Amino acid sequence: MSALEAHGLLFSEAVLHTEVFAILSAFVAINTVMYCALTVAKVLPKVYVADWLTSRNRRTETRSIHPDGVPPERAA
Amino acid sequence: MFFGRFERLIGLVILGLTGAAAGVLLLAVAANDPRSGTQPAQGLLFGIWRVIYDTEAPSNRTVVAATALAVLFAATLALLERRFSNRSRRSVDRSTNPLAPKVVMAATRGQYAGPVTVTVLIPAHDEESSLGQTIASLLTQSHRPERVVVVADNCTDATVDVARAAGVEVFESVANRHKKAGALNQALEVLLPHQGDNDVVMVMDADTALDAGFLEAAVARFTSDRALMAVGGLFYGEGGDGVLGQFQRNEYIRYAREMRRRRGRVFVLTGTASLFRPLALRTVAASRGHALPGENGHVYDTAALTEDNELTIALKTLGGLMISPQECTVVTEVMPTWGTLWAQRLRWQRGAVENLGAYGITPQTFRYWAQQLGISYGVIALSAYLLLLFLTATALSHWIWFPFWIGLGAVFVTERVVTVWRGGWAARLLALTLFPELLFAAFLNVVFVKGILDISLGRKASWKHVHRTTGLHTSPDTPGADDSGDLAPALVA
Repeated sequence: MSALEAHGLLFSEAVLHTEVFAILSAFVAINTVMYCALTVAKVLPKVYVADWLTSRNRRTETRSIHPDGVPPERAA
Repeated sequence: MFFGRFERLIGLVILGLTGAAAGVLLLAVAANDPRSGTQPAQGLLFGIWRVIYDTEAPSNRTVVAATALAVLFAATLALLERRFSNRSRRSVDRSTNPLAPKVVMAATRGQYAGPVTVTVLIPAHDEESSLGQTIASLLTQSHRPERVVVVADNCTDATVDVARAAGVEVFESVANRHKKAGALNQALEVLLPHQGDNDVVMVMDADTALDAGFLEAAVARFTSDRALMAVGGLFYGEGGDGVLGQFQRNEYIRYAREMRRRRGRVFVLTGTASLFRPLALRTVAASRGHALPGENGHVYDTAALTEDNELTIALKTLGGLMISPQECTVVTEVMPTWGTLWAQRLRWQRGAVENLGAYGITPQTFRYWAQQLGISYGVIALSAYLLLLFLTATALSHWIWFPFWIGLGAVFVTERVVTVWRGGWAARLLALTLFPELLFAAFLNVVFVKGILDISLGRKASWKHVHRTTGLHTSPDTPGADDSGDLAPALVA
């Protein structure tokens, strides 16, 4: 390492050209891209795939607390 | 099910799994000789400023692979969650899923148990300053609760007088040593036997106020679906407490947004305000000691640090249907100091992990496991990121711009701002500055690690009660029935 080598606040710039730093930065790069993809998914409107499919969820009977599905005062 | 088996190991299991994932990625990176060859160049910005920039960016292949991996993770998680919830939603097995919709429907078909009524339980330990507001928010609802009961637990202040003056009932706990969960258990033991199928029980914190229309919306849900076992509130942070308060408000806004995008599918039935059908609570109490952890006959597991999270998992384990509707919102207090926030989050974080330890790996806990693993990996990723930033900033002799990474940073800023848009300008401004929220995330990461260490080392957890003098401002104190706000460990995400 030459005495003239560029130096930052704490470390020599040579630190940035070591293999360990390269591995760390590649690790961070991949993570950052992964989180970025998830971030984009969070910003975009959510797609509800199930809505496009024919519904199996259609109820075959009322689930209301009123056995015939209508409150007594309205049924009268 | 294998209760307790993970108790101390669970922290190590979570750290081990995520550490292994990070290790595999590091090895893969190292094997690929990641040295970059680009050199910084000089250019002019708008023809005026001379800038030094580095066009270094991952290869297209890396970007595509990393994106694909992220999408794969997210999609797998969503698919599995949907599959598991559908399975219990469609179950007809009375012995394993006694609260499954089909089982409940079959048992109540053709019967009418009367209109839906609401009985509110407010556990309170020295809550004289905030209780009045809480009760007022109940009594001014468009659907007024039929009964309001303040569950006074070891109070030394005027909590009981405030409750009586407001015209509501008071239940005082007797020789309770299990804080909020213990006090609620005592009250529920008396109350539950007299509740009909549609006489729902609401449990709400004394430092929380319901928004208008909450109960009307909840009652409508319970009326239209007799298989619905619980309705959970969505919480927002009250105003005040400066930047620290805003950090928390932003978190809550994002959580509520996430809930809307999930169409109300519940993470946690928040302790701040949730309603339960009596059948759900009775079945939980009867299932403890064999199908669920805890003592038989108790609704709440007194060993759980976050009893609302535990009860949610218990109900899901029994196949119960639950929802957090958009209309059911509450405003709750935010922690006024870093110290109280630290204590609150440590308890949530620890509680969430310990509950997983108590339940083990089951289809119903799968989503919560994924959440904890996600946080744990986030700790590694954020630490590596901050380390890289620190090294780069302190080793470069002059400033270099990295256009690719600045572009990615812009995406993150956009997400931060968009997700708190509803919170107004203060929320957006804080999000726009990115780094403060990044440091707040780092703070929560430290809490996570501390929680894991405490569990692994078998350290006893402590509760910090928050004493309010002005209705807002607080100081940590000795253990009590209530605690430093009880929202949802779901936020530890």
